[in-house]
Amino acid sequence: MAALQRELVSRKGWISADQYGLSYGLARITPGTNLLAFCAAAGWFIRRWPGAFAAVAAVTVPSAVLAVILTHSYQQLRAHPAAVGAFNGIVAAAVGMMAAAAWLLIRSQAAGSSRLRPWALVAAALILSLGFSLSPIPVLALAAITGLLWPEPAKR
Amino acid sequence: MNVVILYLILLKATMTSFSGLASLPMLRNDLVVQHRVLTDRELNTAVAVGSMGPGPLGLYVVSVGYFVAGVPGAFAGMLALMTPAFLIVPMVRHFGRRADHPRAKQVIQSVTLAAAGLILSASVPLARDAITGVVPALLAGAVFVLMVATRIDTVWMIVGSAAAGLLWQVVQ
Repeated sequence: MAALQRELVSRKGWISADQYGLSYGLARITPGTNLLAFCAAAGWFIRRWPGAFAAVAAVTVPSAVLAVILTHSYQQLRAHPAAVGAFNGIVAAAVGMMAAAAWLLIRSQAAGSSRLRPWALVAAALILSLGFSLSPIPVLALAAITGLLWPEPAKR
Repeated sequence: MNVVILYLILLKATMTSFSGLASLPMLRNDLVVQHRVLTDRELNTAVAVGSMGPGPLGLYVVSVGYFVAGVPGAFAGMLALMTPAFLIVPMVRHFGRRADHPRAKQVIQSVTLAAAGLILSASVPLARDAITGVVPALLAGAVFVLMVATRIDTVWMIVGSAAAGLLWQVVQ
């Protein structure tokens, strides 16, 4: 997104620094992928709805085509004996990535807050899901209610 | 599986998350546990595929769609990924600067932290499928450390892990 700021605001001047800031801030609270929401907002400022559709499609379609090609290749190759070892390595890497994704989320949210709150929320979600087999929607809803009713202690 | 149903299931997952893999627990619950149209191995592979491309990590949804219903499924996945992004347009028009409202931030933060807990929970069955010995465990650990501590592109971690897995197979 920093690269987009340089391109859209400083070099091309298509959106103002204020519009960039607003798009960036709102993208973080829009459901789904933040980068896509940011592109939709920036596209909307430039050309309204057609701009928003064009921006989101430009970011998504090429990568989606690549994802289909890669998935298709996997399906073709997965029975091949020589590829089995490689795929075992890849799925192991995916597990490491998932754990890292969770860790990075916690780190980004826990910065500058009291220590108890973030870890309590993570642990509660883990226990409700793994221990009590509660499905994700009620867990996320409980977290949202907690966020409303248990405000962050004021920073000193 | 009907492509429209698939789109709605994937949309439910993308609409209730605020970053890349946060949609995974919901998606696993629906497609692997409830409908049984996807295996943990395929979900794991989709995550790897999503991290190989240059786009956002959430792209694994496209690969999931392809596993379930081929090219139309992948299209459903791509639309499910794109749809929530457009919610920002009415927000830009009507809420404007209220994005910095502390209460809104608080709710998003809590939901994101819970999502992190859910990702950890969903990674347990995926790990059971993938971590079959010492070498896969070491690979997963190495990728975790590289992702947390360095800015190396994830595609190299995937390529390296594939090479290591292949080498280990040959050695055995």
